[in-house]
Amino acid sequence: MNKYVKSYIFRGLTFAGFGPIICGIVFLILNFTIKDFKLNGVEVCLAIISTYILAFVQAGASVFNQIESWSIPKSLICHLGSIYLAYLLCYLVNRWIPFDIMVILIFTLIFIVTYFVIWIIVYLCTKKVSKKLNKKLKIDK
Amino acid sequence: MKVKTIIDKNKDEEIIIYAHEKTSMIDEIESLVNSYSTQFIGYTDRVIRPLTLSEIYSFNVIDNKVYARLEKEVFLLKMRLYVIEDLIDNTFVKINQSCIVNIKKIKKFDSTFTGTLGVELKNGYKDYVSRRQMKVVKERIGI
Repeated sequence: MNKYVKSYIFRGLTFAGFGPIICGIVFLILNFTIKDFKLNGVEVCLAIISTYILAFVQAGASVFNQIESWSIPKSLICHLGSIYLAYLLCYLVNRWIPFDIMVILIFTLIFIVTYFVIWIIVYLCTKKVSKKLNKKLKIDK
Repeated sequence: MKVKTIIDKNKDEEIIIYAHEKTSMIDEIESLVNSYSTQFIGYTDRVIRPLTLSEIYSFNVIDNKVYARLEKEVFLLKMRLYVIEDLIDNTFVKINQSCIVNIKKIKKFDSTFTGTLGVELKNGYKDYVSRRQMKVVKERIGI
């Protein structure tokens, strides 16, 4: 098996369990904040499976960065695309958003904006650390 | 021939011989020093040869096998990574669960798009610093 596929599965399985935990916390908060908040067994089961898959995909997708033969745009598109598809399908299957083209467009817009805001923040933080390390490397030379 | 030993923990360990000509004694000294500084035996399909720490750029685990990367060549080592961790000195640092790099062979650090810290070695090899090892790497580099 390809080492990247192995790594994707390993990372996915390592962090997938966090999905249902976060889902449970969200349901708990909703239970205390929304009056008459009710879920049936099928909804709960679907939510658990969905969040498990979401966490699996999100953790596994980080492996795209390690594929040396891929360019940064290709890795970025695969990372964003796979996470977006997983989120969209889970939201639609769970009916967390209705199957309406306008709603899906708004969801997509919010998702992409949020993704890039987080990406820029994380990228800048890491860039700062890498600059410090490079500076130290030069001094030591 | 005079012999002088200077104990200085801040300097790299090295032996320099000044001689008028190469003699059998120099050959013996070189051989002795090399045998002491060689800690690894590297294997390829064609050759088996001793590897010194100073020529190794990184140790990598690929498919449960440990490899030593030199400037151009890659050698299989018949050792586990945790054993190597005990044998190497402070010039090496573990950057993730499957890679140890020689700090002196690092070309640069860079940020990757998933927020991890990338490392490029002088031989062109690229890898990343895991979040778990980030603190150790920072300490070893000295920030």
